[in-house]
Amino acid sequence: MSQWLEQVIARGEQANLTGPRLQALTALKQQRWPTRKSEAWRYTSVTPVEQLELSTESAAPASPTKIAGLDSLDLVFIDGVLQQQLNTLSLPEGLTIQALTTLNTEEHSATALFAQIKPAHHLFGLVNDVLAEQGLIINVAPGADITLPVRIINLSSQGKESHVRVVVRLGEQARLCVIEQGEGQDPCLHTYFAEYQIGAQAHLEHYRLALHTGKALQVGGNHFRLLEKAQLSSTLVAFGSDLSRLDVDIEHAGEHAKAKFNAIYLLGTGETFDLHSCIEHAVPNGTTEENARGIVGDRAKAVFNGRIHIHRHAQKTLAELNNRNLLLSRRGQINTKPELEIYADDVKCAHGATVAEIEEKALYYLLSRGISRSQALIMLNFGFIQELINEIPNAPLANWLHDKLRHKFSQMEVK
Amino acid sequence: MLKIHNLHAKVEDKTILKGLSLEIKPGEVHAIMGPNGAGKSTLGYVLSGRDGYEVIDGQVELGGKDLLELETEERAREGLFLAFQYPVEIPGVSNMEFMKESVNAMREARGEEPLSAAEFLKKAKEACKQVHLPLDFLKRGVNEGFSGGEKKRNEIMQMILLEPKLCILDESDSGLDIDALQVVADGVNSQRSPERSFIVVTHYQRLLDYIKPDFVHILADGKIVKSGDASLALEVEKEGYAWLGGKAQEADA
Amino acid sequence: MSEQIEQALSRKYEAGFVSDIESETFAAGLDEEVIRKISAMKNEPQWLLEWRLKAFESWQKMEEPEWAHLHYAKIDYQAISYYSAPKSMKDKPKSLDEVDPELLRTYEKLGIPLYEQQMLAGVAVDAVFDSVSVVTTFREKLEEAGVIFCPISEAVHRFPDLVKKYLGTVVPRSDNYFAALNSAVFTDGSFVYIPKGVRSPMELSTYFRINEQNTGQFERTLIIADEGSYVSYLEGCTAPQRDENQLHAAVVELVALDNAKIKYSTVQNWYPGDENGKGGIYNFVTKRGICHTNAHISWTQVETGSAITWKYPSCILKGDNSVGEFYSVALARGKQQADTGTKMIHLGKNTKSTIISKGISAGDANNAYRGLVQMGPNADGARNFTQCDSLLIGDQCGAHTFPYIESRNPSAIVEHEATTSKVSDEQLFLCQQRGLNAEKAVSMIVNGFCKEVFKELPMEFAVEAGKLLEISLEGSVG
Repeated sequence: MSQWLEQVIARGEQANLTGPRLQALTALKQQRWPTRKSEAWRYTSVTPVEQLELSTESAAPASPTKIAGLDSLDLVFIDGVLQQQLNTLSLPEGLTIQALTTLNTEEHSATALFAQIKPAHHLFGLVNDVLAEQGLIINVAPGADITLPVRIINLSSQGKESHVRVVVRLGEQARLCVIEQGEGQDPCLHTYFAEYQIGAQAHLEHYRLALHTGKALQVGGNHFRLLEKAQLSSTLVAFGSDLSRLDVDIEHAGEHAKAKFNAIYLLGTGETFDLHSCIEHAVPNGTTEENARGIVGDRAKAVFNGRIHIHRHAQKTLAELNNRNLLLSRRGQINTKPELEIYADDVKCAHGATVAEIEEKALYYLLSRGISRSQALIMLNFGFIQELINEIPNAPLANWLHDKLRHKFSQMEVK
Repeated sequence: MLKIHNLHAKVEDKTILKGLSLEIKPGEVHAIMGPNGAGKSTLGYVLSGRDGYEVIDGQVELGGKDLLELETEERAREGLFLAFQYPVEIPGVSNMEFMKESVNAMREARGEEPLSAAEFLKKAKEACKQVHLPLDFLKRGVNEGFSGGEKKRNEIMQMILLEPKLCILDESDSGLDIDALQVVADGVNSQRSPERSFIVVTHYQRLLDYIKPDFVHILADGKIVKSGDASLALEVEKEGYAWLGGKAQEADA
Repeated sequence: MSEQIEQALSRKYEAGFVSDIESETFAAGLDEEVIRKISAMKNEPQWLLEWRLKAFESWQKMEEPEWAHLHYAKIDYQAISYYSAPKSMKDKPKSLDEVDPELLRTYEKLGIPLYEQQMLAGVAVDAVFDSVSVVTTFREKLEEAGVIFCPISEAVHRFPDLVKKYLGTVVPRSDNYFAALNSAVFTDGSFVYIPKGVRSPMELSTYFRINEQNTGQFERTLIIADEGSYVSYLEGCTAPQRDENQLHAAVVELVALDNAKIKYSTVQNWYPGDENGKGGIYNFVTKRGICHTNAHISWTQVETGSAITWKYPSCILKGDNSVGEFYSVALARGKQQADTGTKMIHLGKNTKSTIISKGISAGDANNAYRGLVQMGPNADGARNFTQCDSLLIGDQCGAHTFPYIESRNPSAIVEHEATTSKVSDEQLFLCQQRGLNAEKAVSMIVNGFCKEVFKELPMEFAVEAGKLLEISLEGSVG
């Protein structure tokens, strides 16, 4: 057992928890601190969490990055503290947003919404259950089409620990776009878990921009439950840091739902990023398409574990997963494991994973047009992730991400 | 302009070019015909410097410079342009980005200022129109999801933008219907000038109805076995390659 | 359709008879004393006894692995007998004429008439019955070519230097739980040495048979192909039908020195247990080969038997330009569970590996592919291609794929693909409409599915494997 985890448990015990949070605390007490032998943490060490030094000094004021051309409803957390008074916001009709803090006092059962969708086996998810004091409960009324994207921003500063929880529920036929953006680079720890229930025929456009980098540790998850004919389109963009780990779970709970999940990771020198995704097809006729692409720089480490689980009665499922990686240095490493676990026979499932270098033919084509070798390699390498950026429907966001990734990539050394 | 002397080249362990010599003066159009397997495409790859195509003997000069000493991209900057038979698809890299990089690399090599985004866009749009490609092609990935004809026209569009000295068209007619062929030929003809030379590599005479060559060469078994004027192409069309003798025939088999 | 599938899948295990042979069997249980007794029975040198004891010491400290996708009741290692030998083997036969005729009849029933094979196929056979090697045919002809093919217990005495030099170098004594157990208690197995530049004049073959009740079989095979040599080795396994589970924990080590090639083929048909999952062999096997420069190891396996299969024939591609291959057909039906695959460890430059895995699940079975492809930092230009296909027959079975890919070299290329499919009603209908019965149709579809693997098997084996599959699937649809 780690000292850090003991402290978390001690804090939980003092907090007088109830409901799912109390259950999480009980579950947490039975968890083993992950080692290399823990399958879920086989390639990623949690040592940085134990070594993190927290500070009590007040942090310098931070302000969220603007995304040019993006009109959004911004909700900003700095070190886990919500910066706005929600009652001062004017919200589109059909959208309600409540802060977890107010709910905790006014409506005792609010946290009963916790961990209804997130599976119980995520260690840091349990930590978040126990420690998250701030967060948001977002509801979209049935049939409401919220065109204004909701942007949830988390900024982390040096020496701070923050735990934020978000629960989003879309009623039948509702539509919503959520952008979750996390940033920080100094030593800190940020856990952020979001649970989404997408009602029948509802549509969620979702982005997770996990841009903590450098010494900033972030562990989090996105957990989606899709009801009948629900649609999810989710894009994850991640940098790496000393420890950056995300768990994404997509559960098909209603038939004829469609999920599309794209992930891009770009890891600079010495960075680690670990993505575990799990697609659960519990009912027939679901469709999932997952594409994850990563570029891994010098001394960086990418971990991808993509599981597709087709339950016994989930006939007529279509599920595809593809993970492609480029490794730029012999001091970097890529560990990928696409998994299939299938218990129904009438399904179409496939996965593929590659670790490769740039195609000789493509390189020659660029060279033959007078483009220098180094420039050609940059274009081709970046083109590899650009393909997924191109699929982002929100144009201002796509442009902003393009520039952001391009900038990061230009600082990486391409062999 | 281009002087090839006794060129021998191999791919892996197979010698493909076996003593090819050819001289091209500014403004001339040379057609190279020949049976399959004669080494027609290899010539383009060797001249442009593709990895794996190894010169084992001979010399090549372009504009007085030893071409074989140069890297692929340096050859391109010297004004050598190869229009590919099968242009590769590069998803994720937009045509626009690709061609802007390329045009500015050429300009830099010529000591010219790079084009601004607006200037480039203007030129690119014109070139697009000239080869009858819709403008959204510029935004799409390089050759990504293009039809065979669109890929060929995209090659010609690049040629127009890059203003090379020597253009090698590798079977630019293959797989084209008559309308697409006309577009490709018009594009090429619009670029003919007293300073610019062309090597038109083709299996069929058909293309030469549209792009009139000054000289026609028959390539067989890695060498030029016969040279003549445009009428040679017509003879080939009528008689096939068999009458040229054993070597050409073998290579065709 | 599924009812008929179930009915059909309860077909009889054909190799399930028990031979009435008088045996000498140790009492169940495992401690240092048992190991000393095994070693003494074999009149082993001191170093080997010490090696065994060290393995036992490590084993006692180890935990049985639980990561595989397998569910079974804990094995009671003290309820197993670790040595059983036909009595008549005490005075070892010098030739086939001296072998207990009942034993020979057993092999005949299994379709391995030793004489016939000797005469016709030109396959040299080493047969391991329970724990001891019964007879090695064709020895003289092989020895003429300089090829050594004998029971490992004999090699310990006749070729101590070779055994001592290579034993445990590919699969170390305490490599894993089952390998450690094997190292402690192995009783026999085959030993092969192909000298420099020699192409083995015939295919070598071993048949394994577990006969006695409550015995475990722990054989150990060591094959050394010296520089520039070639050998093709075949292995077949069966066991009688019994209500208790029986443990089989073998170790196979292959050493392919520079420019050598070893082709290792297995047709495994241990007793899978009855339709309720009672009985059957627990097959926990460690197979691994090491390739030196330009060497080539090819594993081909057809796994149709055993209640539990835990097996990952692997290649360590240490030398530059070396090649590793793994071709596998694993069929699990009834209550069978298989967790099988391979590891390709690329250390040298320009090393290449190919993995083709075909998993077939029927009935209530679970069939998992588990593989590791590792590209080391110095494996410049290394390549791997993996194709994992699963075929599901019926809606109560499971097919799983767990491929681990670890790359540390930017110029290495790894490609992994996996698909699942089923024998569709449309396919069946088409075949039936063309006059084939459903059984034939399924067998045809399955054979087509496995073709890429079968073509890697030596001819006689390929035919046998096809038949085995057909029998295993007999009436799987109606």
